[in-house]
Amino acid sequence: MAKKQGNNKILPWLFLAPHLIIFTIFFLIPVVFGIYISFTDWDLFNSPTFIGLGNYKELFFDTDSTFYEQLRIGLKSTFLFVLISVPFCIIVPLLLAAALNTKTWLSKIFQSIFYMPSLFAISAVVIIWTLIFNVNYGPINTLTGSETPWTGTQPYAWIALVVVTVWWTIGGNMIIYQAALNGISKDYYEAADIDGATSWQKFIKITLPAIRGQILYTLVMTTIAQFNIYGQPLMLTGGGPNNSTRVLLMYIQQNAFGSGQSIAGMASAMAVILGICIMIVSAIQFKFLRK
Amino acid sequence: MKKRNTSKIIAFVFLIAMAIIWLIPLLYGIFTSFKSESELMTEGFKFMPIEWVLTNYQELLVNNTSTPLVKWFMNSMLISVSHTLLVLVVVSFSAYAYSRLNFKGKNGLFSFLLATMMFPSVVNLIPLYKIVDLLGWVNTPLAMIVPGAAGVFNIFLVKQFMDNIPKDFDEAARIDGAGELTIFTKIILPLIKPVLLVVALFSFTGSWNDFLWPSIVFNDIEKMPITSGLQLLQGMYQAQPTLLMAGALVAIIPTFILYLFAQKYFLQSMSLSAGVKG
Repeated sequence: MAKKQGNNKILPWLFLAPHLIIFTIFFLIPVVFGIYISFTDWDLFNSPTFIGLGNYKELFFDTDSTFYEQLRIGLKSTFLFVLISVPFCIIVPLLLAAALNTKTWLSKIFQSIFYMPSLFAISAVVIIWTLIFNVNYGPINTLTGSETPWTGTQPYAWIALVVVTVWWTIGGNMIIYQAALNGISKDYYEAADIDGATSWQKFIKITLPAIRGQILYTLVMTTIAQFNIYGQPLMLTGGGPNNSTRVLLMYIQQNAFGSGQSIAGMASAMAVILGICIMIVSAIQFKFLRK
Repeated sequence: MKKRNTSKIIAFVFLIAMAIIWLIPLLYGIFTSFKSESELMTEGFKFMPIEWVLTNYQELLVNNTSTPLVKWFMNSMLISVSHTLLVLVVVSFSAYAYSRLNFKGKNGLFSFLLATMMFPSVVNLIPLYKIVDLLGWVNTPLAMIVPGAAGVFNIFLVKQFMDNIPKDFDEAARIDGAGELTIFTKIILPLIKPVLLVVALFSFTGSWNDFLWPSIVFNDIEKMPITSGLQLLQGMYQAQPTLLMAGALVAIIPTFILYLFAQKYFLQSMSLSAGVKG
């Protein structure tokens, strides 16, 4: 009996060990280290020199520094992208889910079509859309005779980025809304019909409150995902025109891993700032939508 | 009754319009990959090729050393399959301990893991590279196979699923003197197959489609996965879009095929994972 208990004390840890080891090495240590090196001057290879708030001071207050400029441009582009893409990433799938929920014809096929792109690699997705938006032989320009280089002119560059992102990502949210809508009892709608409610009133008064939990969930997850935008501007607009779509993650990647001397300490400070922005925005979303 | 039909028709028209928007870029990409370069450049807009050619695929797939697409494809396959297997093992053992075994600090540890999910992953990107570099894993498949297995969400998902399996099953086996490993492999594992399938599908597609991380840990052209390869391809063949389309389509074939066969599970699993979190 004593032996068995002894076994039972170690056994759970044997089951947990593979994950806990990987988790510690590849999550816990990097997180702590990542915060620490944001307070250092570091080139990825030599040992970091502690400089306190030096990086942050330069990023926020040194108007002559290129990094000050990078943070300003990068944060602005990132926030702008989140602001314009997230509403579409919520509303479009919600409309699709509502339409599918009428049990109309071919709904299974429609569902597959809308979900499919989310399984494709972003680099493949962007290559396909680069062709669509191409100024010389893209279908939009050859059909309309327009000579606008869509991905190199504002506001079209932002519109292109949002179009690609919506096309690529809405499938997951759509499925979540479909499941949520299916769960709403028909009785509510029948009662509303008797009271003579319009479709719009029913949508606002019954549907939205009933799926608020799922909307909050998708809103927070989608916002976090869009804050981490990287592949679309890198490959579709190249950060242009005039750096207007250069997002913060592009600067972080470039400073830490780009050609030339690595400025990993500064890049880490930028990453910490981006991380804090993500947490603050998520917290605000929770606070306002939880009740 | 009539009203219901009207809304069905409106919904149908809306869905048709959206489906066309969703399909056209993909179909146009597919057709373009079978066009010749000169046809695309000179003929103006033609949705389908006038003359179907395989030259784009030939140039990319046969004897190609500067952009070894076949090599990239195989690299990605090795990475994604190994990553998926590793995740399945790590996650199911871990979930079993949190769901079925008793140990000191269990609830605290599990809550801590859940809390870390809220932490923005961008912060650990740079140090993660350093660790992978110290391990000598840069430009090796391990750089993409192992670190992703640190995730917590899948453990949470599988544990929730396990919690719904009545404890009577394993209690009975325990009374019969079965060890935990036997109970885990013989009783629990077969019962959690559906959720493991979900984990496998998402691990595979997630790994196959990963973009930022491989662009950091691979600079050797021979070793990189296909997503990084495509970025390189785009840089090299900017002026040859038909070739690029062929490359992009090769890259989406595995996840597309997976989707054809496991569509039901993908669609179910989205609501499953949301239901757990919501």
